[in-house]
Amino acid sequence: MAGVSACVPENVVATEDYSIMTAEEAATFNKTVGIRHRHIAPDSICASDMCQKAAEKLIEELGWERESIDVLIFESVTGDYKTPPTACLLQDRMGLPESTFCLDMPMGCCGCLYAITVGGNLLTTGNVRRALLLIGDTALRMGSMKDKSRVPLFGDCGTAIALEFDEEAPEMVVEFNTFGKGYKALMTPHGGFRHPITPESFIEEDFGNGIVRAPMHTLINGMDVFAFAISKPPKSVDNFMKEENIDRNSDVDYFLIHQANKMIVDRVVKKLKLPTERVPYNLEEYGNLGGASIPSLMVTRLRDQLISGPQRLLMSSFGLGLSWATMSATLGPMVIPELMYISE
Amino acid sequence: MTNLEKYNEIFAEVFGVPNEVLNDSFGKDTVESWDSVHQLNLVALLEEAFDIMLDPEDIMGLTSYKAGKEILSNQEVEL
Repeated sequence: MAGVSACVPENVVATEDYSIMTAEEAATFNKTVGIRHRHIAPDSICASDMCQKAAEKLIEELGWERESIDVLIFESVTGDYKTPPTACLLQDRMGLPESTFCLDMPMGCCGCLYAITVGGNLLTTGNVRRALLLIGDTALRMGSMKDKSRVPLFGDCGTAIALEFDEEAPEMVVEFNTFGKGYKALMTPHGGFRHPITPESFIEEDFGNGIVRAPMHTLINGMDVFAFAISKPPKSVDNFMKEENIDRNSDVDYFLIHQANKMIVDRVVKKLKLPTERVPYNLEEYGNLGGASIPSLMVTRLRDQLISGPQRLLMSSFGLGLSWATMSATLGPMVIPELMYISE
Repeated sequence: MTNLEKYNEIFAEVFGVPNEVLNDSFGKDTVESWDSVHQLNLVALLEEAFDIMLDPEDIMGLTSYKAGKEILSNQEVEL
């Protein structure tokens, strides 16, 4: 991994700013869920815009010629259009060569680890040498603004990761899992070809507890997601560490856990008995960033460490699908521009 | 402290009730205060007390005192 960068909207929203929440509810949310602020993009800015800004700066600081980029992966569930793939639009907008292999991946919160795995494996074929992985979302806009169970959770962000073939690079080890049976825990019921958009898709229903949404809106079944997130991923991480002979107290510099919410991350940390001083958080400032969560931790919390030298990271992410993944990688030194901001 | 005493203490702590009211009918359908937050607190304390990791279906199924005993039994915790 030659570098990583991130871009967030300038606009910051505090929990108290959401009119759907009372002051008391906002205070409880801040204390328990831990997300106090998030950066939210205006409707005119898409995930691809933030990713592009992050990528442009990254390739400038890396000194990469655009013609040398062979692969462009755009990982997002909030692409510019339903078709065509946003990666193709980015190839043009960024002035990348027509020979670029472009691919969209809509894999949600595990998206970073999927993108690294797919991009990394393409590089190991020997046919291509440089890959750009653009990972970002504007997830708030997928749901109802009257859904109290979802609105305050998400922030917007675009990130870019530069991968370069290097025979001497240390091995990355990754494990993926899928529990498709649980797909209804996180889904958008209408808008695909199973249930295309019809007038019914816009009819809002009051589900109680401050949840008002229509079938076109993305939903979160909180209890199902919580039960999944505090059980499957920690078990996998535990098994992964045993199989790879990783001592949690001496072999890992930092544990990067998908920043879903504080309750979930705290539970994962506690169950795995991880040394808390080596588990960075950024959810209090940025919220749940979906697939961009892990690269955003590298930029906002581990920048100095990763710029100056190799760090062994153990990464765990979980989300849509339901899917979850664990990755061990020794990264750095690498190029990491300062966090960037975008506005209209 | 026996495992059953630990088990009872966790329910008493989570729901703020005396041990005497705990029996197999104590559950989501009979206890007004039983909500998802209480249920997740139960999960957290049971996992810590008995050093176990519950599956999602166990977490969702922990809806009564009786169900909790069955879940622990499946985890080879004898009460």
